[in-house]
Order: sequence, then structure tokens, then C-alpha cells
Amino acid sequence: MTNPVIECQNVWHIYGGSVTAVQDVSLKIYPGEIIGIIGQNGSGKTTLVKHFNGLLKPTKGKVLVNGRDTGPMRVQELSASVGYVFQNPNHQLFARTVEAELEFGPRNLGLPEDEVIDRREKAIEFFGLEPLRHSHPYRIGFPLRKLVGMASVYTMRPAVFILDEPTTGQDNVTTRIVYRLIHRLRDEGSTVLCVAHDMILLAEVVERMVVMRDSLLIADARPREVFSDRALMGSTHLLPPQITELTLRLKEQGKLPQVSLSVSESLDVFAPLFGGKSEGGQA
Amino acid sequence: MRGVVIPISMVPGNSVIHRISPLPKLLLAGCVLVLSFSTRNPAILGALIVLGMVMVSVANIWKPFLRVMAILFPILLTLITLQSIAPAFPRPWTPIVSMGPFTIYQEGIYSGVTMVERATSMTIFALAAIMTTHPSDLFASLQKIGMPYVLNFILTMTLQLIPILQKEFTTVLSAQKSRGLKGTGFAAVLPSMVPVFVGAIERVQQLSISLESRAFGSSGAKTSYRSVKVSWVDYLLMLLTTFGTCGLLYWIITDPSLDWSRTLIFAPWLAITLFTLATIGFLIFVIIAIRVVLRA
Ligand SMILES: Nc1ncnc2c1ncn2[C@@H]1O[C@H](COP(=O)(O)OP(=O)(O)OP(=O)(O)O)[C@@H](O)[C@H]1O
Ligand SMILES: [Mg+2]
Repeated sequence: MTNPVIECQNVWHIYGGSVTAVQDVSLKIYPGEIIGIIGQNGSGKTTLVKHFNGLLKPTKGKVLVNGRDTGPMRVQELSASVGYVFQNPNHQLFARTVEAELEFGPRNLGLPEDEVIDRREKAIEFFGLEPLRHSHPYRIGFPLRKLVGMASVYTMRPAVFILDEPTTGQDNVTTRIVYRLIHRLRDEGSTVLCVAHDMILLAEVVERMVVMRDSLLIADARPREVFSDRALMGSTHLLPPQITELTLRLKEQGKLPQVSLSVSESLDVFAPLFGGKSEGGQA
Repeated sequence: MRGVVIPISMVPGNSVIHRISPLPKLLLAGCVLVLSFSTRNPAILGALIVLGMVMVSVANIWKPFLRVMAILFPILLTLITLQSIAPAFPRPWTPIVSMGPFTIYQEGIYSGVTMVERATSMTIFALAAIMTTHPSDLFASLQKIGMPYVLNFILTMTLQLIPILQKEFTTVLSAQKSRGLKGTGFAAVLPSMVPVFVGAIERVQQLSISLESRAFGSSGAKTSYRSVKVSWVDYLLMLLTTFGTCGLLYWIITDPSLDWSRTLIFAPWLAITLFTLATIGFLIFVIIAIRVVLRA
């Protein structure tokens, strides 16, 4: 088996000596995994992922990135392999133009100029930022600002990409870009960690789900299992996507063989019910 | 990262100083301000500083207080450096030593030292008052002594904004580090100022809208959620403070022997030591500041 890219060994994080935000979390993340991290507000998701690029150091326990203890490592060192997109883009952007923002990371990595430009251009195209390339990041709307935040990390091509609530407050168009980003990252072989309250997004893109509640890691399983576990979901006040809930109930009534995670998947599942063959479909 | 955060806000506690109503504390801070500007006598200023330190001890706020002073004091030290070579003092100046193009003057050292003492004494009392007073109480007390509502509001909001801005600064810096920010010096730190100030301006704009939508400008008496009770102890303290200050002021004004500017002679070695220490102190501070700010 390959070695984990990120490994937490009994990690604790206590803020200011009193607020326990992460409690005894052990976790192994392997290269190429797409992982969703869910949990209520304040359950410790952001705190946990900030350990992976060294922004936070465990109060107790150890975090290993590529087998190295992050304890003595600097964020700057880790930034080459672990990219973190902040929950709030206002905390992340500081350049005068979108272009400069996208160049900042690769420049710090010491890449040659043509590579920096190439990565910038690819990111502008992928995120649809062409009309904004000379704008000040603070003069563009919040959703697009968030995309700029993602793009600015994307240009660094980190092996591990952490997204903190990428779709919160996003409309359909920008949400689709987030979906495409995660798919693209998966195709490129990156490891993706996505903290989100957007269950529909997670149901569609992730293969593994980590559930946090009150600073504890309470489950680590495939989305289908997590969403089907009513006790687990109920205990942390999470709701599965409606289509999953519907198919789950139908399955409990013995009318369906399995739970589905997306609309297109449901069409296949429903096909026998309606006695026809499914045409597949677009979500 | 925590080194960057300086909390100039209330430090919760239950000391005698915390429990005194804000009014006597504010009055005392104001009186010390007047006193320190009316004298240049190093001993009187020194005594004020000692008194302030007693207050800080009683309030048990040494840690946050020192954290502020660690930033402020080295900056104040530049006063000694600058004053020594260019005293803000009526001529004639008595030269002590010449070092290249610079000459250190007797009056300069005197002026520098007293200015530092002045600033320190004012700061101690102001910080002691702010750090032991709930912002809302401060608000309510200022209103009680007739400070216009809007002015008062601006002041309290500003005080509350400082810790928020400091926290933002730390956050933005960590964002830059997570994108591999390298380099040293102010050029590296400067970019993080931009989002902090843009954020602050956005915040203020939103605040003004939300204030208006909650009828901030309407007329009529304003009340505060927290009320400030002034007990007889507080009145007694205010009375004592006032009398004490008036007494001291009278002494300062009428006793010309308190002017030590021509009588207090700094030996050359002492003057040079002070000058060098102040300069080195400031430079070390600058270096440490850059380090702390850039530390991962
Ligand atoms: N800098 C900090 N200092 C003190 N406490 C903090 C700090 N940051 C977070 N906390 C506390 O730690 C706990 C976990 O916070 P965290 O931000 O990790 O939660 P989260 O799961 O990301 O929540 P959300 O869904 O709201 O983003 C919360 O109780 C929070 O109040
Ligand atoms: Mg969070």
C-alpha cells in the first residue's frame, strides 16, 4: 500500500488553553483521495484542516505530511505541497490585480517566468476570470472573489488541495466551476479535501467522508454509508441530499435495492420501478 | 503568530481597580495627562510612573500591559536618540560629546529622558483605565460626563476595532504564508496591510449602514444597556484625585527649583550610554518586529 500524504496521530487542538476544537483525531489520507469533511458549525473542521498546511500546530499529537512531522516545519515550506483555500476570501487576497494574485504563489515557488505566466493563463481560462484579470480583487463580487482565491492556490499545483466551504454563498454558475475544479483535480491525481455543508456537492464528488461533531471525528466512511446512517446523521443534525433521502426511504420500504447519491444515478435505480430502461441523464 | 496580537482592550478581572467605577479612573488618567505636560521634572514624572505601576500590579494586568509596552517603549526610545542630537529646548545647548556629524547635548538628553517619562506615565494610566473597564461602561461613563453621543460612540467603536484589526492582520499574514510568502523586511509585510485596511473600510461602511438602519441618527435621549453606578467611594476618589492634582500643579508652577534642566548634569559616559542604549534598543526592536511578523 502507498504511504499516506497526510497522517494525523491523536491530534488535539486547544485554542488559548481553553477551547478544545479538535480532540484526539487520527486519520490517514492517501494520494488521490477525494475527501469530504462535514459537521455542524464549530465542530472543528476548519481547525483540523489548518493543521495540514502548518497554519496550526497540534497542541498534542502529531501531523505528518509526506511522512514528515509538521511540528518544526514552516507554512511556507508546506505550501508547495499542501494548498489551502480559505473559507473567507477576504483573508486570502492581497494583490492589486487578479493577475498578480494568481502569480503570487508560483513566484514564491521560484518557478521560471514563462511557467508562471502559463499557469496564470490556464487558471484564468479555467475559472472564467478573463473579464476580471486587471480588476482589483476587492472590487469584484464575493462569489468571484472566492473563485480568485481558489485560482490563486490552483496556480501552485499543490499535491493536496484543501477547499474550505467552496460553495457557500455561490450561485449555480460558480458552483459548477467548483464541481469542475474538483473533477479536474481528481483527474490530475491531486488529493482533495473539501470542507462543506453542501451535501449535494459532496454526494456527487467525494469518495470518502469524515464526520466531525463537537471536536471529535465520529465517522469516516463512504458517502453512501454516511448518508444511510440515520443515527449518525441525526446526532449531528445533518441532512442528506433530498434525492438520497427519498431513495433511502424507498429502500427502507423495500421498494428500491439501493440508495442513490445523485439524480442521474437515481434514474438508473428507478428504471426497474417504472419498467423502462434509463437514458442516464444530466445532473 | 500570537506575538503580533496586542490587546488594547479590556482584560477581564475582579481586582479593586476593575471594580472602581470608570469615572475616577478616567479622571485620574486625565489628571496625569495634565500633570505630565506641566512638568519636566524627572523625579515627579518618575513618581507618576511608579504610581501607575502600582495600579497595574493591583489590577493584575502586567502581562497584557507589558505586551503593549514592548511595542511602545522602543518607539519612545527614539525620542532619546533624536532629542540628544536635536533638542526641543531653548538654546544655549551644552555639548557633551561629538560623534562624527552629531553632537550630543546635555539639554537633549534631559529633554529626551523626560519626554519618554512623560509618554510612559500617560500611557500607563490610560492603559490601566482601558484595560480594567468594560467598553460599554466606558461608553456609559463618558456619556455621564457629557461627552457628545456621536463622539463617544466613535471612540468606543475605535477601541473595539483595534483587537479585530489585529486579528485580521494575523489571518491575512497566515494566508500569505500558505501561498509561500518569502522574503523579509517591511516589503514582505506590507501586502498584508492592504486587505486589512480594505477589510476595515468595508466593515466601517457596513457598520454605518447598519447603524442608520437601526436609527442611529434619531434624536432623543440615548440609554446604555449597562448602567454605571457611582458610589460615595467613587466620589471620594474623584475628590482626592482632583485635590491631589491641584496641589501638585500648584507646587509645580510655583517652585522654580523643580526645573532641573540646567542643574541635572549627565556625565558624558552616562549620556553616551543612554544614547547608545536607546538607539540599539530601537534597532533591536525593529529587527525583532520583522522576525515576529514573518515567523511561521
Ligand atoms: N482562533 C480561535 N480562537 C479561539 N477559538 C477558536 C478559534 N478559531 C475557532 N475557534 C473555536 O473552535 C471551535 C471550532 O472552530 P472551527 O472554525 O474549526 O469550526 P468549523 O467546523 O470550521 O465551523 P464552521 O462550519 O462554522 O466553519 C469553535 O468552537 C470556535 O469557536
Ligand atoms: Mg470552518
